[in-house]
Amino acid sequence: MQTVINEFRVAFPLIWHGDPYLMQIIGFTLQVMLIATSVAAVIGIPIGLALGLGRFRGRQFLRVLANASLGLPPALVGAALFLLWAVPAPLGSLGLLSTRRGVFIAQTILALPYTVALTAAAVEGLPDGLLVQARALGANRLQVALLAMREARVGIMAAVIAAMGTSLSEVAAIAIVGGNIYGYNQTLASATLYEVNAANYPMALAIAMVLLAMILVLMGGFALLQHQSGGLRLRFRTAS
Amino acid sequence: MAFLWHQISSAVSLIVHGDPYLMGLLWVTVRLALVSTVSALIIGLPLGAALGLGRFRGRRLCQVLANASLALPPVVVGVVLLIFILPQGPLGSLRIEFTLRAMYVAQTILALPYVVALTAAAIQGLPPGVVEQARALGASRIQLGVLALREAKVGVMAAIIAAVTSTISEVGAVIIVGGNVQGQTESLASALLAEFTFTPNDPRETATALILLVLVLLLVGALTVLQQRTGQLRLRFREG
Repeated sequence: MQTVINEFRVAFPLIWHGDPYLMQIIGFTLQVMLIATSVAAVIGIPIGLALGLGRFRGRQFLRVLANASLGLPPALVGAALFLLWAVPAPLGSLGLLSTRRGVFIAQTILALPYTVALTAAAVEGLPDGLLVQARALGANRLQVALLAMREARVGIMAAVIAAMGTSLSEVAAIAIVGGNIYGYNQTLASATLYEVNAANYPMALAIAMVLLAMILVLMGGFALLQHQSGGLRLRFRTAS
Repeated sequence: MAFLWHQISSAVSLIVHGDPYLMGLLWVTVRLALVSTVSALIIGLPLGAALGLGRFRGRRLCQVLANASLALPPVVVGVVLLIFILPQGPLGSLRIEFTLRAMYVAQTILALPYVVALTAAAIQGLPPGVVEQARALGASRIQLGVLALREAKVGVMAAIIAAVTSTISEVGAVIIVGGNVQGQTESLASALLAEFTFTPNDPRETATALILLVLVLLLVGALTVLQQRTGQLRLRFREG
């Protein structure tokens, strides 16, 4: 037990004293989280609303696809992007491998299924009468969508928080396309991996603790949201 | 386009010829998925049933914890576990650092929240009456638990598939405690992460990605069929 305590004892001062490398990683991680989440929200929430509200053909199929993409392994997304972005490949001329921009794009792609699928689920979970009534009273599509968004705001916030969570903790995709370059395009998660490989355990532990603290803050925000809305719950439901 | 076509066709021919390196990766991945899912089920099903049925103090708190642990970043689990199992750590005498066994432990810890939280949610979603009736008729706790698990079998199946999917696609924890030793502790996902950056344009990497893709499609397909067959089991947000 002594050694574990010692590791922590070396790790914590790195956080308190604001180790510049650590601060740089925290800054980049926040940048990745903000960019990926906001792009994924701007693209994903309208798609989620359309999937949840729409009455077009193939809607069911697209819903299944959106849910399925939640299970996509990040390593696979990273590998696919790598193949597309490699120099001889179709998108090779964009020069996105080993850049910060490549990391932003990869993380946005990973966050997108969360905003789409969870927004659609939140909208579908609304009580039946409301939207039917609005439609009957002559609301146009945009008005119905805005109404649904307001009513399902807690679920949509949960979707955004889930997207933030993945952009914080995912590591495989960004390490593959970004190359995990020291002090340049490392997030907390990929830097942890880097420091472990370098056998620099106190630093790895310090980075992991900061990551855990950020996730806890997010979860705390989510719990508060649940509490305020009177028990929103993520649960399985077997309907008829 | 020629580049992509060449990559994919040479990858397919490697797979068809049963390249030993690829088969090794697949074998490690399958073993990892089996062992850690089964251990997570043995530990998690009773916990999930207790959480779903129990009427003890602190049940609400335990459920919040179970849900929150779904968001645990794999790299954090990996680093903390590694510090415990390093030779000088408290569990160092087990000598499991950089072995498959350490990967089993890490992945069991990561799969456990899925089993516990989703089983508890599935049991709570049962129509009221079945469990109450059994209680009134004098069923023991164990009988109640078995009954509830059987009634909620669709939700439990979904929990199992979620657990298997996470063991196949998560990489942050296993790569840290397993050390990604070629031919021993390298799984499909961790091979993608480790090798793509060093040997780009190697068809073996593309082949690894293809095998992983097929595995995930099979699992997600199974989950989708399960959902359709049971008349829309849905993971959804519910207010109220």
